[in-house]
Amino acid sequence: MFLFAMAFGTLWWMMYAWRTPENLAETRFTEPDGTQGLFFSLLVPARHEQAVLAHTVGRLLESRYSDYEVLVIVGHDDPGTTAVAQEVAARHPERVRVVVDTHEVKSKPKALNTALPYCRGEVVGVFDAEDQVHPSLLGHVDHAFRSTDVAVVQGGVQLINFTSSWYSLRNCMEYFFWFRSRLHLHARHGFIPLGGNTVFVRSRVLRDIGGWDPDCLAEDCDLGVRLSSAGARVVVAYDADMVTREETPDSLYGLLKQRTRWNQGFLQVYRKREWTRLPTLNQRLLARWTLGNPFLQAFAGLVIPLGIALALLAEVPVGIALISFAPLLPALVTVAFEAVGLHDFGVQYGMRVRSWHYVKLVLGSPFYQMVLSAAAMRAVWREMRGQHGWELTHHVGAHLNEPDIRVPCEVRSEG
Amino acid sequence: MNVASTVLDIAKRPPKPAVPRRPGRSPTWLGPVAVLLPTLAVLAVQAVNIGGWPIANDDEGTYLSQAWAVQHGHGLAHYTYWYDHPPLGWLQIAMMSWLPGLFASSAHVLTASLRVVMLPVTAASCLLLYLLARRLGLPRWAGSLAVLLFGLSPLSVSLQREVLLDNFAVLWILAAMVLCASPRRDLWQHTAAGVAAGVAVLSKETIIVLLPALALLLWQRSHPSTRKFSLAGAASGFTLILALYPLYALLKNELLPGHGHVSLWGGLKFQMSRAGGGSLLSPGSANRQMLDSWLYYDKVLLLGGLVAALLLLARRPMRPIALAVALLALTAIRPGYLPSMFVIQALPFLALALAGVAERVVTLVQRAVTPVGRVMPAARQPLRLAAVALVGLLATGLVAPHWYHGDRIAVTAHANDGYDRAAQWLRTHISDPAHAQVAVDDVLWMDLVRDGLRPGIGAIWFYKLDLDPAVAGLLPHGWQDLDYIVSSPTVRQPSNTRLTTVQTALAHSTVVASFGSGTDLIEIRQIVTLPATEGP
Repeated sequence: MFLFAMAFGTLWWMMYAWRTPENLAETRFTEPDGTQGLFFSLLVPARHEQAVLAHTVGRLLESRYSDYEVLVIVGHDDPGTTAVAQEVAARHPERVRVVVDTHEVKSKPKALNTALPYCRGEVVGVFDAEDQVHPSLLGHVDHAFRSTDVAVVQGGVQLINFTSSWYSLRNCMEYFFWFRSRLHLHARHGFIPLGGNTVFVRSRVLRDIGGWDPDCLAEDCDLGVRLSSAGARVVVAYDADMVTREETPDSLYGLLKQRTRWNQGFLQVYRKREWTRLPTLNQRLLARWTLGNPFLQAFAGLVIPLGIALALLAEVPVGIALISFAPLLPALVTVAFEAVGLHDFGVQYGMRVRSWHYVKLVLGSPFYQMVLSAAAMRAVWREMRGQHGWELTHHVGAHLNEPDIRVPCEVRSEG
Repeated sequence: MNVASTVLDIAKRPPKPAVPRRPGRSPTWLGPVAVLLPTLAVLAVQAVNIGGWPIANDDEGTYLSQAWAVQHGHGLAHYTYWYDHPPLGWLQIAMMSWLPGLFASSAHVLTASLRVVMLPVTAASCLLLYLLARRLGLPRWAGSLAVLLFGLSPLSVSLQREVLLDNFAVLWILAAMVLCASPRRDLWQHTAAGVAAGVAVLSKETIIVLLPALALLLWQRSHPSTRKFSLAGAASGFTLILALYPLYALLKNELLPGHGHVSLWGGLKFQMSRAGGGSLLSPGSANRQMLDSWLYYDKVLLLGGLVAALLLLARRPMRPIALAVALLALTAIRPGYLPSMFVIQALPFLALALAGVAERVVTLVQRAVTPVGRVMPAARQPLRLAAVALVGLLATGLVAPHWYHGDRIAVTAHANDGYDRAAQWLRTHISDPAHAQVAVDDVLWMDLVRDGLRPGIGAIWFYKLDLDPAVAGLLPHGWQDLDYIVSSPTVRQPSNTRLTTVQTALAHSTVVASFGSGTDLIEIRQIVTLPATEGP
């Protein structure tokens, strides 16, 4: 029954955006009015990413927005990336600056905190070194800030290389449902674990709250929780034309490490208990559920194989056996919705989804769940043993070969 | 805290746009009254003399006995459950079985007095039908009219009183349609519609022919931007609920035929291969006789509703309803097996189609008088009311005499006298119920169990003597172990001549009491045992 509730709850929240046509319409950016108001400081922390950094900053410089600066943050022990960053900065001295992070032990939040004092903008935006950012994004974000007067705008991030491997397909779908749907639910209910990039915060608010937590493995989630607890309003906007495109981890082990880090970060945020200061019980329950999810997932990972073994090996009455299948029902509905999501994904991104991909999506489901459960168990294990080291995700640029952002939105945003 | 002060004062989420209230909207109590009054009228007519008319039906006895078995922990049936129908219908009866205890009297045979469980089913169907009418865009008065047509037709009164699985299927398919037509276009309501449709099919499998109508309604009522998800939600809800049935069979190792056990496949094969009743169009065929018996009860709803549905195929909002009628009509016309209760599934849609056409007629008449209203504004409202009244009068004049006659029989006739008295005779004349063995049809079975006979082996469904090896095994001397066999119209059906044990028992018995006459005759026959030396 617990597993049923868990699977059902996850399904319910996953489908938030598609629940009604009105919900879906609300999840888009509203069209900008053509004027510009805010100055942006865009932070790009880069570590051992000389392969993709120049391209990423290049994309940022193609923005149609005029009032912004780019701060590339590099480590003092990373000459390769530093060289690429400085070369770009030399070519665009009016836009790009390089900030060197000298912390002995490096982490993304430390790098971001290092750069925060140098930000001149009214809004700080964060991008990853491998991001492909749409030229019209800043205009839309500016409009979102000015028309709603919120503290944070979270843009969509989408893994795009769904053909790379069996797990990349599922990973892409996971992002699709998270940014397309679930985050909107969080924003509406006033508790949101922010995403790691394409997130924009008013500098004043960010400084008031003390920047990022340097020791947290999920500094983005932590920031979101602290801002939510302080009552900050967040809007999330997902627009297929405007999302930041990323790639999946390049190996299954990489995915496992990345997910372990996130899960461990969630556990850390949970243990900081900042979320207990959320004003309403519903928000606190949502926080408890979301942050405790690694625990729940680890538990499910242990119990489900046990249950299957019991159902197959032990003689149980038919009624009990039928009930033991109950958690499977929402799980199967989830798979059905994921298949439709994959179709939607293909339509929105103009990519050809073949029937083979649907088969892979369905067949991969249990194995992907096993990877997630393993990562959750690993996170719980590492957290209990006090291992807080940062395991970096490597990027090879697999998403850069995918078809480029389509034209229609450009026509629209200028019209 | 500083941050709180800077961001807390930011305006809250903008309120949802309220549904605009039209000026001059009628008062809020009108809706509830428009649905409750006709529902109460239907309930009143259906409740009075519910145990007396129509004559208790063997199928009612079957479902009630099986519900009794569920309720008393004997599994899905008191004999081996053989997948003749999915069990969800009598599972629902079992869930409501506390109800008859509150109302049942000993005046009637138990099967007939247990019909009380159908009243909440009818009430819920009436409410859902009204809601569906409203969601399809019909005005309140047309919704009320649909409820009255649905519940007061003599055909409805007799069939909806009976404990039949089709009535449950109708309830759930109406729920599915109401959910599909939700003005919120909510994904979960659409998914729930699929679940409700699955429950409908598991209540009575024949309702599955309505799926295309349901799909059309969902297609029309979902929004293009979320339609894909709505369809996937409804389809997976439906499929998964339906899949529980084969899963149950699989877990019991009864999915496929095998030696020494029943199977779902075998049950399906039996239902699919039942002897066809001939074409509706050829006079004298079994199906034609069935149709004639339906038409005997009510021509208005059947023929009028059919014509109305054909007319409404042209109107987009009502098209799913028209399609539902068309699908059921086509199924009935094909020469295959046609169960006598099949028409139940068409009743709500026929009623809705008639109400839909009535609404069109009134609208057209109102439009026709509009020019007059323009010239004399004071006459506009009276003219409109007069139009409704005229249509109402015409319709009532057409329907009322016919229906009054049929419904009067329903509330006064005593069709179950024979069964009532047979049950009473058995109660008073079986001296040692704990050891008695009596073969009866399904209608009388519940009474015998109530009187203390052992379920299944003391109180025996007559055809199990020949068809269930488990029962034969418990009677070492075959028919000679019986004390009585009750010969009722069901037992005397021509198809039962192949039941040799039953026929032998009938041949070796004498009538000790008889009730009624003609085809309704019920005889209680005592078995005359032969001297032991003769052997079997």
